[in-house]
Amino acid sequence: MYMQGLANFIDDFLGGLMLISYALVVGSVLWSFVILRVYATDRASDGSILASVKVLHLGASALAASVGTKLVIKGMVLASTLGELPMEAYAGTVQFQAGVLRFLLALGFVVFARKLLKEPTAKSSWQAVAALTVPLVISGAWLVHAVGRFEDRGILMFTTVIHQLAAAVWFGCVAQLMMLWQAGRKDEGAKALWPVAITRFAWLGVTSVVLLIGTGTFLAWNYIGTWDGLFGTGYGSLVITKNWLFLVALGFAYLNNRAGKQWRENGGLSNLNNKVPYYIEAETFILIGILFIAATLSSQPPSVDIPDRTAAVSEVVEMFMPHVPRITSPSHQELLAGEAGRVAVVNKIPSVAAQEWSDYNHNIAGLFLTIMGVLAIASYVKNRHLEWTKYWPVGFMGLSIFLFFRSDAETWPLGPIGFWESTFGNGEVFQHRIATTVAMVIGYMELQARLHAERRKIQFILPILSAFGGILLLTHAHAEFELKSEFLIQATHTTMGLLAVIMASGRWLELRMVTAEGYQEGRVAGVVSMVAMLLIGVLMVFYREPLI
Amino acid sequence: MKYPVALLFAAGLLFAASQQASAHAVVTESSLKTHPIEINHPTEVALHFNSGVELALSRVFLVSKGDVYHPLEIAKGKKPGQMLIKVPALEEGDYAIKYKVFAADGHLTEDVIRFKVSASK
Repeated sequence: MYMQGLANFIDDFLGGLMLISYALVVGSVLWSFVILRVYATDRASDGSILASVKVLHLGASALAASVGTKLVIKGMVLASTLGELPMEAYAGTVQFQAGVLRFLLALGFVVFARKLLKEPTAKSSWQAVAALTVPLVISGAWLVHAVGRFEDRGILMFTTVIHQLAAAVWFGCVAQLMMLWQAGRKDEGAKALWPVAITRFAWLGVTSVVLLIGTGTFLAWNYIGTWDGLFGTGYGSLVITKNWLFLVALGFAYLNNRAGKQWRENGGLSNLNNKVPYYIEAETFILIGILFIAATLSSQPPSVDIPDRTAAVSEVVEMFMPHVPRITSPSHQELLAGEAGRVAVVNKIPSVAAQEWSDYNHNIAGLFLTIMGVLAIASYVKNRHLEWTKYWPVGFMGLSIFLFFRSDAETWPLGPIGFWESTFGNGEVFQHRIATTVAMVIGYMELQARLHAERRKIQFILPILSAFGGILLLTHAHAEFELKSEFLIQATHTTMGLLAVIMASGRWLELRMVTAEGYQEGRVAGVVSMVAMLLIGVLMVFYREPLI
Repeated sequence: MKYPVALLFAAGLLFAASQQASAHAVVTESSLKTHPIEINHPTEVALHFNSGVELALSRVFLVSKGDVYHPLEIAKGKKPGQMLIKVPALEEGDYAIKYKVFAADGHLTEDVIRFKVSASK
């Protein structure tokens, strides 16, 4: 049990790394052939190609390492959960065999990427890379949920693979755009290619978007099926959140495309050089959010499979309705008295004290964030009487201390379960510990950032960690709850996670656009970021947990 | 170079957190609903999952009062996704079936089905 929580987390971590590595590999291959035209006579400069190959090599190495380790870790998780590891049975699973195939393919990519690092224009190596890409993409079909379904298995596997491919191309090429922009600082060829690459990527991006919409609609139709399934299940709510972020990403893609169009029409490079690189960075945050939600979807049962455990729309609406915040908490003794019945498998008794304890935690944490949000927005107003509002990040440190004592009543320091045992033996407690640490680090770093504008590196801690915090919210696991109760809780946390990703990308954009050309957009992005934080606070102030 | 690397690192963290304990193989039908277990009568319970399940990598337990666990024998059913569970004769009371199943998509799922054994009316 002690190791199982840690092993599960590592297993999950590697699964995520596999997805991003896959996107970097596939996106890099498409980028190299379509944008850099490595196989044509008018190919890009060696510097541009080398930058691309570096991303390919990084992605392939990470893919090989993550797939190989995941196969081992999955075996450890199985052994820990089952009490033994039936090796023959494990090796016989489709997952194991498809994983081994993907591991070998990734090693092949590493070999040829290394050759390309020495000779970036070697056609034979590019041929090999192209040949490896086909089985890499196809092997994904045996690693998705559709492989286990009984109806329409083939078409669902095919559609999911195309959906993944389109997402990988978009994300991988956006990562490549960032690398090209950086390469342009040293390589004239890369610098000259920058506007051309933006315009060439436009049609590839549009194709990806069309494929994503088409395949996404088909998958949603098959896995969700009804409006109740869309609004009343975890799967459906994640799809809704994913689509909101998708629209934001499309907004950034439109701005990039418009700048490229301006360059084609009148040769204007101002927006392309002074704004687009930062739009692309913010777009990356959003795409990461989208991909992350897509990965989270794989841990949810499709809506069509749980019609009897689907919440009514009125129940979902009720979760978001204003309530008087709970500012008094049950005592620790009252809470612990109800815990044995609440966690029992047989003769389970819902605990009112646990419900009120959780309401109090969320509502007070919400008050922290709401006050911080108001002060943070006020700090953008140029008024000497409001200068003190720049100290708003102190609230994060207070929130961290509050969370440390209140998140998990049954664990140290208030409960009987020890710190290490609870942290590494329970995935949910582990997430809470991380969130507590993240809040403290954000508070200290952001305070330094707001007080010392010259400390540039520290300023980027908030967007990175708030994005991480957003992801924790989006994956907040309440494994012991019934699916319907779990969903009602998840619906609010998913919305908060969405706002946290917007907060992160807004702040990032603000920091990156502190230029004469981008000042106004940067200020707007900064205020949007703080409004997102305020909304998270308001949601938490009104939070009410179902009785479970 | 620094910022893209930071972003890619952030991407890794985000994906890392995205892969949670899975709940993909869910029970869509249970014979416990249609054929409740009778007192002192061994029963074969049939569960239908929404996904293929690897039986050799799955375990099922009977949980009785006080959360005492007893491993149960499982077998493949005739229909796709069907699992047959041999439940011994039980006295009147509250029980649960706790299962840990390895779905064909690679997700390990744990869940509980609670049921009551009582005299027939």
